[in-house]
Amino acid sequence: MTARRETLLLFAPGLALLALGFLLPILRMLMLSVVGPDGITAVHFARFFQDSYYPSILWRTVRLSLIITVLTAAIGFPLAYIMSRVGLRLRLWLVVMVILPLMTSVVVRTFGWMVLLGRSGPIASTLRDHGLVGRGFSLMHTETAIVLGMVQVLLPFMVLTLLGSLARLDPRLEEAARTMGCSFLQSFRHVVLPLSLPGLVAGSLLVFTLSASSFVTPSLLGGARIEVLAASIYKSVTQTLDWNFAAAQAVILFAGVALVLIPYLRLTARHG
Amino acid sequence: MVRAVPAWLRGLAWAFVVLAGLFLLGPLAVVVGVSVSENQFIAFPPEGFTLRWYEKALGTREYVEAFWLSLRLAVVVTVTATLIGGAAAIALSRGRQAGAMETVFLSPLLIPTIIFAIGMLMLWSSTFGPTSFATLWLAHTVVTLPYVIRTTLAVLAEADPFLEEAARTMGAGRLRCLWHVVLPQCRPGLIAGAFFAFNISFDEAVLSLFLRSPGHNTLPVQIYGQLEFSPDPTVAAVSTLMILLTIALIMILDRLLGLNRFAKA
Repeated sequence: MTARRETLLLFAPGLALLALGFLLPILRMLMLSVVGPDGITAVHFARFFQDSYYPSILWRTVRLSLIITVLTAAIGFPLAYIMSRVGLRLRLWLVVMVILPLMTSVVVRTFGWMVLLGRSGPIASTLRDHGLVGRGFSLMHTETAIVLGMVQVLLPFMVLTLLGSLARLDPRLEEAARTMGCSFLQSFRHVVLPLSLPGLVAGSLLVFTLSASSFVTPSLLGGARIEVLAASIYKSVTQTLDWNFAAAQAVILFAGVALVLIPYLRLTARHG
Repeated sequence: MVRAVPAWLRGLAWAFVVLAGLFLLGPLAVVVGVSVSENQFIAFPPEGFTLRWYEKALGTREYVEAFWLSLRLAVVVTVTATLIGGAAAIALSRGRQAGAMETVFLSPLLIPTIIFAIGMLMLWSSTFGPTSFATLWLAHTVVTLPYVIRTTLAVLAEADPFLEEAARTMGAGRLRCLWHVVLPQCRPGLIAGAFFAFNISFDEAVLSLFLRSPGHNTLPVQIYGQLEFSPDPTVAAVSTLMILLTIALIMILDRLLGLNRFAKA
């Protein structure tokens, strides 16, 4: 057996799996989005844009994803920086602190937020006890709830991406800046931040795509009225049973995500 | 390095880490709290202590069946993903044009699960009819494959390529070389990949929701359904058991491989 043939044999099952279980499903979805009763049509896309209902869902999805991405970066960057600069033992515990929620089912984490934000949760009852809000106050089924839950769900992705780039950053560069008379904040601003920018951008793009396409957390915390694109797709698939329209919405989501993914791939290819 | 940081900033950093920890782990702690509360309704802080909800959860047929389905699914997915992904990773580590091929194999990580989920549903329904256990098996294997490939590739990148060459010049055949030299080198990567595959499959909700068939609800789907309609402390008990399983997985992974590996990376 030659080396070439061995390599091909090792590749074969994986390629077959991806062709059958990944490529074909996506092609099928693309196809359904453009077929109608009489051949190829753009009617499903036209329906999405015919009135302001679906565009407003799209806009909400983009707007919330942007807010979530900015907040995740704002919390994730200092956390990752601290993690990259503490001793190995403490870093290990902090990694566990980040990985444990990441490895717990999104359904379970969202449940935690439902309890925290609900009418009998600690936030509502504290505010009520201080007379700040009325009896029926609850943060559930608000955009704030979606943002809070999603930032917690996606923070680990941001922290782990940033940790990768910050840990590779040579600490001697910072030391050099300090001995040359920079204050801590100056060296942070002029050395650490520029050098970790690719990681920050890569993490943000990743969080944005995950956020734009997430379904479980926004549906449970936002409820039926505050719909995002993924929830609207789910509704078309399971309730209205309009699969062509569901496919068209998925293609719109796909196109949006692809716009963000291309720079992400370029960045990660260049910086490993 | 930390010593060069001003004292006020170090204090601030500590406070920040504690707050971030509360934010990350708080929602999990709350679920555990509700699961042992005597309160009939979902409320926090918990009142008293009881294991009644666990008893009730273990006696509920839907949860028990969902658990077994999730477990069976996660086991077969782990085995197939590790075998196929391990083989692909070995081939990738040798390839000259590995870059493009690697992107192909990691692409399921990049495409949002929901898009892949509806594609899968549409393809399966038009070719095979109603979805089944096999649909979930196929879909979960596709999304877990990249994790096995990534962890195995990472280990192989550090491995000594001359070891294989040495074995070959000493007269070992290709298969023997693969079995006795390459595979042992892959082992930590394969083990880590298998753990991730198991964890992801067991916890996955989106694919399982789209591809579910009557009587085929995985545990996360069962929990999701409860949360959508009438959450009670029994869901909290089931959720807590899922958190405990995650903790157990992380501890076993640490025992087998050492989490230091991940902390350093």
